[in-house]
Amino acid sequence: MSMLKIEGLTAGYGPVSVLHGLDLEVGEGELVVMLGANGAGKTTTMRAISGLIGRQGTIEMEGVNITKWSPDHIVRAGIAQVPQGRGTFPELSVEDNLLAGAYVRHKGEGVRDDMERWFDVFPRLAERRAQKAGSLSGGEQQMLAIARALMSRPKLLLCDEPSLGLAPLITQELFDVLGRLNTEEGLSVLLVEQNANLAMHIASRVYLLETGRIVASGTSAELSADDSIRKAYLGF
Amino acid sequence: MKSLVTIREGSAAHWAIRIVTAVLLVAILLWVPTKGSASLITTSIEAMTLMSAAMALNLVLGYTGQISIGHSAFLGIGAYTTGIMVSRWGFSPWVTFPVAFGVAFFVGVLVSFPAARIKGVYLALVTLALGLVFPQMLTWKRFSWLTGGGSGLPLSCPATSATRTCAGVAKTTTGFDIGPAQKGQLQTFKIFGHDFFGDLRRLDNKSAFWYWIALSVVVVIYLACRGVVKSRVGRSLIAIRDNETAAAVMGVNLVRTKAFVFGLSAGLCALPGCVVAIKTGGVSPEGILSLTVLGAITFLIAMVIGGAGSLWGPILGSTLYVFVTDKTGSWADDDKIPGLIRPLFGWSKISPADGIFALLLIILMFVAPRGIAGLWKQYSPLVVRVLPRPAGTGGTPEPLATVSATETTNEGEPQ
Ligand SMILES: Nc1ncnc2c1ncn2[C@@H]1O[C@H](COP(=O)(O)OP(=O)(O)OP(=O)(O)O)[C@@H](O)[C@H]1O
Ligand SMILES: [Mg+2]
Repeated sequence: MSMLKIEGLTAGYGPVSVLHGLDLEVGEGELVVMLGANGAGKTTTMRAISGLIGRQGTIEMEGVNITKWSPDHIVRAGIAQVPQGRGTFPELSVEDNLLAGAYVRHKGEGVRDDMERWFDVFPRLAERRAQKAGSLSGGEQQMLAIARALMSRPKLLLCDEPSLGLAPLITQELFDVLGRLNTEEGLSVLLVEQNANLAMHIASRVYLLETGRIVASGTSAELSADDSIRKAYLGF
Repeated sequence: MKSLVTIREGSAAHWAIRIVTAVLLVAILLWVPTKGSASLITTSIEAMTLMSAAMALNLVLGYTGQISIGHSAFLGIGAYTTGIMVSRWGFSPWVTFPVAFGVAFFVGVLVSFPAARIKGVYLALVTLALGLVFPQMLTWKRFSWLTGGGSGLPLSCPATSATRTCAGVAKTTTGFDIGPAQKGQLQTFKIFGHDFFGDLRRLDNKSAFWYWIALSVVVVIYLACRGVVKSRVGRSLIAIRDNETAAAVMGVNLVRTKAFVFGLSAGLCALPGCVVAIKTGGVSPEGILSLTVLGAITFLIAMVIGGAGSLWGPILGSTLYVFVTDKTGSWADDDKIPGLIRPLFGWSKISPADGIFALLLIILMFVAPRGIAGLWKQYSPLVVRVLPRPAGTGGTPEPLATVSATETTNEGEPQ
C-alpha cells in the first residue's frame, strides 16, 4: 500500500484550474522528487494534498481516501508540510515555533525530547532557541520550518523548495538530513526542488510536472538517461 | 547592548524584583479606593473599564490579527444584559455577569464565521457596521419591550418611588441599589462577616464599591487572557496572525480557533459593560459612550498605545489614555493650559484635550511603534536583563546528522 496515491487531481484557485488530472504516488519509505518549471503547479499540488485549496479527484493516504478532509485532519493523519518561502512565525520564539509544529500532538508525548533532537540536528537553532524567529537569517528560518514540520512526527513530509535562499553548502547538508531521515527512519518525503541535480541524488523516483500534468516519471537514472529531459530540466 | 544588572530567570534576585513589583501594585490598588480622592476613584474606574475592553479586543486584534471596530457592541450587550435582567426581571446584578459573558460569546461566535472568511479592510468594515448598527438597534420600536427604546432602562428607582414599579416597568430591586432602605436592597457588603464598605448608601463608599467590582473584572479578564495566550491555543493564535497558511498546515483549525477567540473576546468585552451599567445606574443608547463606535475606537487606541499583542499593553495604554484625557479635559479655558504649551493651542480651534492627545498619539507612534509595552521590552534590558532559564533538560537522543553552523544567505536561489 502506498503512503500517498493521487489520481486525476484537479485543483486551482477559484474558477482558475491549475492542475488538470494529476497522477502521482509516493510509496512507503520513498523519497519522491517533483520537478517543474516556475508556475507548473508544484506548490498548488502541495496545497491540494494538505487540503488548503479546493480539489477534485482522489487523494489516498495509506489506502484511506482523504480528498475531502480538512487541513487539520490531514495533519493529524500524518502529513506535514514545509510551505514554500519563509513559513515561520516571526513573532514566536524558535522554541515556540517548534511547539506550534507539535500542535496536533498532546503534551508529554516526548515533545520536548523531539525538540532537543532537532536542536541537535540544527545546532544553529539551538543557539537561538529563545530568539524570535523573525530575527533569524533566511537560511536559519528555512531550517526552522523543516524542524517545525517534523515536530508533528509525520509519516509523509511535503517539502516545497526547502533550499530556497540557502547557500549551496547548507543545501547539501539539508539534503543529507532529508536523505537520512528517509533511509534511516523510513520517513516518506515528497520534495519539490529547483535544484534538480542535488535532489535526484537522494530521490527514489522523480516526476516531471508541466502546466498541471505529469509528463514523465521514473527513477533518477531513467530520467537522466533521456536526453530531452536532461536538457530541459537538469541542464547538463 | 550592555545592561547594569544581569540576573537569571527564577533566581532569588528575579523573585525579589517580582515580589517588590507585585507589592507596589497591590499597594497602589489599595491606596486609590481608601485614601484617594473621589475623582481619582472615578477616573480609576473609567480606566479599568477601558482596559477590560482593550484587553478583550487585544485577543482578536493583537494576538490573532483580526481587526474589529465593533467591539463596542459587545460591551453594549453586556450593559444591556445587566440592564434588562435587573430592571425587567429583578435579577441580582451578580448573576448578570456570567449571563452577559454567555450572550456576548454566542454573538461573537456568530460574527466570527464571516470574519473567518474575510480579511483586512473588509473585516474592518463588517465589524464597523456591527458597531454602528448596535446602538441603532437598541432604539428600534420593535425591541423596545426589551430594551426600553431610546430612553433605555433604569437600574434603580428614584429615591421617592417606594413602589416596586419604576419607569413603568416591572419590579426593580437591584443588589447594588443604594436608595432608601428597602427590602432586598444591599446596604452593606460583607465578606465572611467583615464589613468592608460600611453603609453603601453613602456616596463615597459607593464609588469604592464600584472600584472593587471594576478591578475584579480587570483581574478576571487579565487571568483569562494570560491563560489563553500562554497556552497551546495562544501559540496557535499568534501563528494565525503571523502566517495563516503555515498555521493551517501545522494542524490549526482556522475556523474553529477564530470562532473560539472571537467568542471569548466578545464575552470578556461584555463584562466591563455590566460594570458600566451598574455604575451608571441604568442603560441607554446615548448614556453610555463606550457602547457606540466611538467606544470601539477608544478601545483600539488604548490597545495600540499600550502595545498590541502584549498582556500588559492594554492596561498601560488605557491608564495613560484615561489619565491624560482626564487631565487635559479640564483645560477647557485657555488660561488653564499650562503656560509652556499654551501658545500651541491658544490660537487653535481644536480643544486642547483633543489636540494634546492627537499630538501625543503621533509622537508615541514614532518613539514607540509597538506601544509602551514594546518600549519597555526594548529598553528595560538596559537596566536589568533577565536571562532565560538554562535550556531544556530532556534526554537527548542520538543526533541523526548535523547541519553545521556555516554561512547562510538570504537571497539568491542556488541553481
Ligand atoms: N493564490 C493564487 N491565486 C491564484 N492563482 C495562483 C495562486 N497561486 C498560484 N497561482 C497560479 O497557479 C499557477 C501555478 O502556481 P504554483 O505556485 O503552483 O507554481 P509552482 O510550480 O510552485 O512554481 P514555482 O516554481 O515558481 O514555485 C501559476 O500560474 C500561478 O499564477
Ligand atoms: Mg512553488
